[in-house]
Amino acid sequence: MSEAKGMANVIIKTRNLVKTFEGGLIRALNGVNIEVSEGQFIAIMGPSGCGKSTLLYILGGLDSSTSGEVTVDDVALCTVRNLDDFRARKVGFVFQMHNLIPVLTARENVQIPMLETKFSKKERNDKSEKLLALVGLRERMNFVPTKLSGGERQRVAVARALANDPKILLADEPTGNLDSVSSHDIIRLFQGLNKDGRTIVLVTHDKEIAEHANIIYHMQDGKIIEQK
Amino acid sequence: MRFLALIFKNILRRKTRSAFTIFGISLGIATIIALGTVMNGMTTSMEGILKSGAADFSIAQSGIADLSFSKIDENRTSEIQEIDGVKKAVGVLIGIYPVGNNPYVMIWGVSVEDLQMLGASILNGSAFSGENELMLGEAISKELGKTVGDKLVLREEEFAIAGIFQTGAIYQDRGLAMSLDKLQELEKKEGYVTVIYVELDEGANLEIVCKQIEENFSDLVTIKSASELGKVDKGLEIMDAVSLAVSVLAVFIGGVGVTNTMMMSIFERTREIGILRAVGWKRRRVLIMILGESVLLCVFSVLVGSLLGVIGVKLLMLEPTIRGILEPLFTFETFIRAFIVAFAVGLVGGLYPAYRASKLSPSEALRYE
Repeated sequence: MSEAKGMANVIIKTRNLVKTFEGGLIRALNGVNIEVSEGQFIAIMGPSGCGKSTLLYILGGLDSSTSGEVTVDDVALCTVRNLDDFRARKVGFVFQMHNLIPVLTARENVQIPMLETKFSKKERNDKSEKLLALVGLRERMNFVPTKLSGGERQRVAVARALANDPKILLADEPTGNLDSVSSHDIIRLFQGLNKDGRTIVLVTHDKEIAEHANIIYHMQDGKIIEQK
Repeated sequence: MRFLALIFKNILRRKTRSAFTIFGISLGIATIIALGTVMNGMTTSMEGILKSGAADFSIAQSGIADLSFSKIDENRTSEIQEIDGVKKAVGVLIGIYPVGNNPYVMIWGVSVEDLQMLGASILNGSAFSGENELMLGEAISKELGKTVGDKLVLREEEFAIAGIFQTGAIYQDRGLAMSLDKLQELEKKEGYVTVIYVELDEGANLEIVCKQIEENFSDLVTIKSASELGKVDKGLEIMDAVSLAVSVLAVFIGGVGVTNTMMMSIFERTREIGILRAVGWKRRRVLIMILGESVLLCVFSVLVGSLLGVIGVKLLMLEPTIRGILEPLFTFETFIRAFIVAFAVGLVGGLYPAYRASKLSPSEALRYE
């Protein structure tokens, strides 16, 4: 992380974020305060059930908080009426399971998010080809997921997350189902994207993976207990 | 990749399941096509009987369930002839006899000078001249392999074939014609006819003449068009109702099949739908995708069902008895109706699954195991 990046604008900010389930019986987040500057690569670590995925979902507009505030790119999410549009343009998601559509080729899978935005067919084709080249899969862009390895499928999922050129990449255990070689390929890919200015928030319980980030938040019982 | 291509590819994911669903709906569509075609044929044939040749309309006995029960006093013919606007009224007796392999051959008893009223053109030979002569319709002549000069036995009585005629109406071309007096004798209906064909004077008002006849003769009913066939053929109405009921049932079963298939599909794809929502797809797009898949399944079913329906009717027509009384009529309207029904089944059957899919919360869908 360069000094210049450290001085950059805050792109994600939460204030006293609380999320409860089942009418308040389960408290997944219990007053979370974090700040992520533009261009940072942060990792959120913690044991299963500590609330890290819930936090990521709220940051990406997939879920809403019970109380507290989330601001992403100067927009308070509680004021956003159309979170679909927010997700389509502002953030990209990578999950533990790639969930690629099995009957589509890698290239077609990457184009899925672009169907909701106003790209022409040619633009979709050109962009998906460039993105697959970026993740090192240009030669395999016409392969269906069953003809790709686990690591390759996850790289297609990363390309899909970048389809609408979001400023922020949110990754939930993206290496959870991969072997160590493929895991490091994905992390190197994230580092490259971060170097190009993309903000990355990575949720993992793997300490080795988390250490590639600039800042590591440790969570436990719905709270940030440590920041490194 | 286009959105439509995605919809198309989605239904190819589970090829066997999609194929069975298509087959299930297509059976309903085939039923609609087959029953519609048969009903069209029957209606046209009946219309052919009742609006024969030069006749503008026909008259039968009122209150009957089937035209074959119609029994009109022959003197009515001359009474109707006297009505203003009537150019000519011709009484015809219709009998049904087994001939060759066909147990239901219609025999038309008509005076030789009134043959023109049937619209009959003589292809070979001449009109019958004596009581022991008759004419064969063109189609039955071919089926029986008999022609002018041959003999034909009806109720143990031998008739000479004087000529071969053609009218273009199935019941007539697959029937016989003989003198009215002879058929009345055979049928033991001396002095009676089944139907009276009426030709109007030029410029006469059809509605007024028909109204006048029905007012003057309460035992008679007039038939001007196919929509009035129910006045003299309750069987056709009953068959129409049964046809509708069977079609509705077939379509309902098909619709349940579509709903079941689409529900299974969205359960299997819950996480994937979560991803689509995560990358910014709106609820509306998810709804359209699932509805599109459902409608596309039904559109394929129309193609398969139409083919099955046509094949089914063709197979039915291989049976000589059926071929003798029925000429299927494939109309564009029947196929359009089947398409509309299938489209509606796709929309209605897919609506609930599509609604369920579109209402999935993205975070819950992504956590779905």
